[in-house]
Amino acid sequence: FKEALECRGEQAAVARADKLKLAVKLLHDSREHAGHVKAIEEAQRLLRMQEGLDRDAATAPGGAGGDVFTGLSVHETMFRLVKMGNSKRALKMQSEFKVPDRMFWWIRLRALVAARHWNELEEL
Amino acid sequence: MAPLPVLSTADTAATARRDLLQLLEGVRGKKNLVVERALAAPLGLFVKFSTLQEYGVDRVYFLENDNVDTSQRNVVFLVRGEKVKAIHSVADQIRRVRSSSQIDHEFSVFWVPRRTLVSDFILEEAGVLGEANVTEYPLYFMPLADDVLSLELDDAFSDLYLRKDPSCIYLAAKALMDMQQRHGLFPRIIGKGDNAKRLADLLIRMRSEVTAAQDLSNGGSSVLGLTPSQSIENLIIIDREVDFPTVLLTQLTYEGLIDEVFGISSNQAEVSSSIVGNPSQQQQSASSSTSPASQSLKRKIQLDASSDALYSTLRDSNFAVMKPVLQKVARRLQSSYEARHAASKTVAELRDFVAKLPGYQAEQASLKLHTNLAEEIIKYTGSDMFTRILEVQQHVVASADPATQHDNVDELIARAAPLHTLLRLVCLESCVGAGLKPSYLDAIKRTILHAYGPQHLLTLTALEKMGLLTPRAGGLASSIPAAKPGSVTNFPAARKSLGLIVEDVNEADPDDVAYVYSGYAPLSVRLVQCILQKRYVAALTKAPAGVSQAAAAAEAGVKGGVGVGGAGGGSVGWRPFEEAVRLVRGVGFDEVQTGEERAVRARQILNGHGSSTTALGGVGTGGSAATSVPTKTVVVFFLGGVCRAEVAALRFLAKKLADEGRPRRIVVATTGVVSGDRVVGAAVEGDR
Repeated sequence: FKEALECRGEQAAVARADKLKLAVKLLHDSREHAGHVKAIEEAQRLLRMQEGLDRDAATAPGGAGGDVFTGLSVHETMFRLVKMGNSKRALKMQSEFKVPDRMFWWIRLRALVAARHWNELEEL
Repeated sequence: MAPLPVLSTADTAATARRDLLQLLEGVRGKKNLVVERALAAPLGLFVKFSTLQEYGVDRVYFLENDNVDTSQRNVVFLVRGEKVKAIHSVADQIRRVRSSSQIDHEFSVFWVPRRTLVSDFILEEAGVLGEANVTEYPLYFMPLADDVLSLELDDAFSDLYLRKDPSCIYLAAKALMDMQQRHGLFPRIIGKGDNAKRLADLLIRMRSEVTAAQDLSNGGSSVLGLTPSQSIENLIIIDREVDFPTVLLTQLTYEGLIDEVFGISSNQAEVSSSIVGNPSQQQQSASSSTSPASQSLKRKIQLDASSDALYSTLRDSNFAVMKPVLQKVARRLQSSYEARHAASKTVAELRDFVAKLPGYQAEQASLKLHTNLAEEIIKYTGSDMFTRILEVQQHVVASADPATQHDNVDELIARAAPLHTLLRLVCLESCVGAGLKPSYLDAIKRTILHAYGPQHLLTLTALEKMGLLTPRAGGLASSIPAAKPGSVTNFPAARKSLGLIVEDVNEADPDDVAYVYSGYAPLSVRLVQCILQKRYVAALTKAPAGVSQAAAAAEAGVKGGVGVGGAGGGSVGWRPFEEAVRLVRGVGFDEVQTGEERAVRARQILNGHGSSTTALGGVGTGGSAATSVPTKTVVVFFLGGVCRAEVAALRFLAKKLADEGRPRRIVVATTGVVSGDRVVGAAVEGDR
């Protein structure tokens, strides 16, 4: 019974940010799901950050309107940031979500190649 | 009617076809046929559209498209009666068609394979039950090849392990029961795994129900169906749960790789037409490649071994040897073409050649197809990512400490490897090591959520529920399985006692089933070998002398057939590998089914004349007596799905047995063909 309740909360979480809070509340009741709580809280943070990024991207001159961050995963978000030349924000994300260095370098490498930023690549 | 001498899949197909056509004939006049998409491809296996047209089918619609029009008075639905969603959409469409047209429609609904209470209820609720003729269409096994039968239940795997829904066990039991009624009882049912045990129990119960019903009606005619079969030696049921690692590995046979790269469903693979070329262009000229416009088009190609001789030789070979084989065939074809110039001197010779020409052309077309497919697969296997994945897999399976591969896994995540592939690796490690270390499990979960998005929290939960991804109990000491024996596979021990890892496999000329995974022998197939090829397994594992002697004796017992009577009954089945088998998760069981005294006597009388009376003792394991018994058939049923590499391995096993002078036909039956991607795909959120 509990499981079903949680599942619904989680599923809704995918769709809407505010439902995430509900899920956290639900999950807090049971102690075994501490890992889930952490994960969902992280997802919340990610969503908030992506909203901010979206707003920036929309207001930035020449920012591609089609580039929407919301719904991407942490890695994908960083990938896109680097690709758009916004390495600083990506670095900030790295520290915020504690992404391992090795992982981050791979992402950065791939993104720079994808964006054909050969100069920056050389600087690394 | 005496039981049919041999179990043949063509026979199954014929029955299925006949039943369907009979049902269609029952609906008078022209009709529109509405088929569930999941059923359409399997139907194509045994019935052609032109045949359907002959039986008055005007147009065929997919249920999912929801676009039945009102052009015909009769509307026939052909839908699985198990899934609530499908039933609902049938009800909706009946209502829609009824309301939107003036003519008086006649609806028929054929439930496959049986009418369920739920289906009746839903139709009644929708208020359409009264208007439809509801019939059952008992379609169970569908032949995928001449030795592969499948129920083609696409979601059997997730039903069974994720939702714990046993309906597919029931269907499997029904299907096997059907087989028993046609060919006689399986003299022996051997199995491994909890669900397999359930299936066997169900089978035995169904049988007693049938017997009871017969006692009531006193119908003497069909009693014969329940004597032990003459043609089938035993039924081996393997639960997929017993052997997850095998599916999670990348299959390395040609057919397996096609399945991995393109996906095969019901013998059809969807391949971009830029690879296979359009049929018309193939005829125009062999050299011209496809036009860029058609690049995105998908074309379905039939992979049917019975009509494609080349494919039947290729499908089970390890991919590493593909190139030389293809080259050889190409050379042979070329030389026979050139022979035309050299040899076509006389008119007779010329005529001879022309007669052969269509054959050559067909062969050439198939050669071209397979060369192109192989090229595409090489592109895939040649990639850095693939080698890396394979490396991880091989290490995890073979080495004691899978932790060394964590770096590789991390790197794959960082390089955005497909989620399915990655989950396969993680699950593989979990299955092999009886769970992951809790700390690593947490770390990898976090990374996956980071890399692929938070919605996969649900995916991971589903995987845990399926038992594919578990924290290791106890935390320390990987060598001692903390859990009670029988609940988890002690893989390292099983690896040793069953010889799952074979060094130096010869891929070109295989000598062990391990060739299908280039070094790893599928656990499931080894289990089958434990039953059929005892001496070999014993020798392989260098078991203590006692065991191998017992194995030899047991094998002799099997070979000698009967005579041994009750004593022989003990040495077949799992013996002497109970120890090894116990290491593997799930219960093992071994049931002997004997005919009833009465029925046995009835058969003896019928067989009569005392000449070839089979020495069916009351307790015998079902007489493979001294009569000229045809090659015995062993039915291997994979509950929850089989992967193509395992099929290949079993085919190879059959060949080996024939070489040893104990020919057996191995028929693989399953609930559906799976691959690792489909296994984890069952869990992936938003992917169902």
